[in-house]
Amino acid sequence: MAAVLPGAWFDGRSSRARAVQVRLERAAGGPLLVLQAADGGPVPPPLRQREIDLPEAWSARRPPRKVVVDLRAHGSLEIEDVAGWQAALRQAGHSAPLAQRMQTRWSAFLLVFVLAAAALLAFYRWGTPWAATQLTRHVPLQWELGLSQRVLADMDASWLHPSKLPAERRAELRARFDALAAQAAPALRRYPGYAPPLVLQFRSGMPPNAFALPGGTIVMTDALVQEAARHGLPDDALVGVLAHEIGHVMHRHTTRMVVEQGVLNIGLGLALGDVSALVSTGASLLTGLAYRRSHETEADCFAAALMRQAGVPAAPMADLLLGLEARPRGDPAAARSAPAWMDLLSSHPDTAERARGLKEGQAERCV
Amino acid sequence: MADNRDTPGARPGIDSYPVEFTGTGGEYFRVWIVNVLLSVVTLGFYTPFARRRTAQYFYGHTLVADSPLEFTAQQRKMVIGFVLLVALYAAFKLASQTGQDTVASLMLLGGAVLAPYFWGSAMRFRFNATRWRGVRLQFTAGWGEVYRASWPLFLLALAWVASFLLAAALVPADLSPAARAAAQGPILVGTSLAALAVTVWCLMRLEYNYKSLMVLRGRIGGQPGRWKPVFGDFVRIWLATVGVFLLTLAVVAAVIAAALGGSFAMLPRLRGAGLLAILFVVAMVLGTMLLLFLASAPARAYREARIFQLVWNNIGASQVARFRCTLQARRYVGLRIRNLLLTLATLGFWRPFAVVSEYRMKTESVTLHVKGGLDQLAGQLAREEQGLGDAIADAVGLGLVG
Repeated sequence: MAAVLPGAWFDGRSSRARAVQVRLERAAGGPLLVLQAADGGPVPPPLRQREIDLPEAWSARRPPRKVVVDLRAHGSLEIEDVAGWQAALRQAGHSAPLAQRMQTRWSAFLLVFVLAAAALLAFYRWGTPWAATQLTRHVPLQWELGLSQRVLADMDASWLHPSKLPAERRAELRARFDALAAQAAPALRRYPGYAPPLVLQFRSGMPPNAFALPGGTIVMTDALVQEAARHGLPDDALVGVLAHEIGHVMHRHTTRMVVEQGVLNIGLGLALGDVSALVSTGASLLTGLAYRRSHETEADCFAAALMRQAGVPAAPMADLLLGLEARPRGDPAAARSAPAWMDLLSSHPDTAERARGLKEGQAERCV
Repeated sequence: MADNRDTPGARPGIDSYPVEFTGTGGEYFRVWIVNVLLSVVTLGFYTPFARRRTAQYFYGHTLVADSPLEFTAQQRKMVIGFVLLVALYAAFKLASQTGQDTVASLMLLGGAVLAPYFWGSAMRFRFNATRWRGVRLQFTAGWGEVYRASWPLFLLALAWVASFLLAAALVPADLSPAARAAAQGPILVGTSLAALAVTVWCLMRLEYNYKSLMVLRGRIGGQPGRWKPVFGDFVRIWLATVGVFLLTLAVVAAVIAAALGGSFAMLPRLRGAGLLAILFVVAMVLGTMLLLFLASAPARAYREARIFQLVWNNIGASQVARFRCTLQARRYVGLRIRNLLLTLATLGFWRPFAVVSEYRMKTESVTLHVKGGLDQLAGQLAREEQGLGDAIADAVGLGLVG
């Protein structure tokens, strides 16, 4: 026999309360709500769970002063004995929705939290990069070329200057570059149909560096060429750097990064924006850096494979990387002793690690 | 609850019911954190469900004359409204990002023209979804009335268009391009300042128009709302708000001056450590911006409290009910500052506690006085409203609670 609770029923036409007896009966598809007027007056017919809106239980320990059941067109029902009401619901076979279970039980919340965290990590670790790779297939080469042209024009107008290297030196390096580019066999490429025109440009006005623009333009600074000479390294070191940059081009890293960052900003903004903009932007930034590090590793792997194919030794490039790393601080040991969490804030993987990988032929890090 | 019935000075036949709020910050924190987590999992599509849960938590714990308020919006309609809004927004983004400027600006213009309609439907939805003792609130303003009340919105848009046209017309045409550019600067600043003044005045008037329309065209159980404030009351509150803002600004400026004075003295010593000095300057700039943000908070809280107090002291339902409000602006400002600091310190995790404490202070300051008993309201069975209005009101930041 189901428990009988006292309640106050409002019919929706007047603010006058009518005393009713409330019963919850076990039925198919959830509890059946049965009302009976204390004075024998008219009451709504028995109502099934889908015809009413049950109030959510907000706390397992502290019941609210009163709960109100929304009977929709039949008005509303106030119940003062909240504990009795919740017991009657359980007895009548009501199963609480997920949100309510998470609300009233920390164990349920934690379970969903762990599952969600795992799903989210998987999504950002594999899902977004995969989606970006697929979407990038549909980005035309023309768009990349246009973007590169604008970016390079902007940089030339602001802080880049024409190269001061002798013309014959540039021709020499360009010849090596073209020979290397010709070796980029289809087997090495992620995008088989993607054949951007590979062009090497020289500029001065920046510290030792080389960078790839989407669509095949690679820029090398005079300072990098001089730095290699200063360490007495053969041109193979510079060729290695160029191979790495060709890797960025062939893997279309810039375009993928644009797509990935877009997905990240929207996804994390939607997900975490309610906590605060700081948390959501921070998460998006850290994840973006993780993607960039994985791109660097990918480009390193491409470079190792390309150099193997072209018969260029990888050790000089590794030495150049180590030399560059030591340059600003003058002490290679200091560069390597940075705490591990600093890696999270870095756009490149650890240099010593990269150099070792290059010398050992990248066996462990590349698939 | 009718505890004033026998107190001396209370008029006979009038019962007083202080509004109660029985929710707690801890409980609402759990409501909120569950909403956040489920929103994360569903990439934001839990939003309409989250809004309904939030509204039901606050309504269900707000007791007027010992009866909780009810939020009765149907979930299905809120979801449809949300999806429609997301689709509209996506269409707009797509149009503007793929360079279809005509389509994008037409959509923007359409949104501006429809803004009063959106406000009106948000109000209808919200009133209709609120029930007390089985009786629904109703918002009965017709669209013509809503658009007539929105005239400051259109005046505001006109003021900005006029300011740019005027700036272009005032520059003599026979100047060289460089001289034109030089002459245009001050003129543009001047006309923009004029437009800004019009904007502030329009916003004041719009707030007054909308609030009075909400009360005058709001109904509960067949009883129309009663509204006593005049526009001058609103103007006085805005002027006082400007005063509060200037006062806070002066205090903040004094604090910054003291801090800067100290650090300028330190700068020569820092000259050797270049990077450290730069970091120091960056930290100071960020600190100043934060302080400016904090400086506007007391003024905003002050205005909110004063308007709340004015409105709830001067409205009622025909001759049956009236409200009294004892909210103290100073206490409310203090609470807001405390909440703001705690929210910053906890990276946003204090927000649910902040929302609850501010809501509690506001609701518990209100007392309902009823003549002739609570049973005399006659409800009407109104049609359920569409949920799009609510989703749009949410998108433009009209808080559901408060």
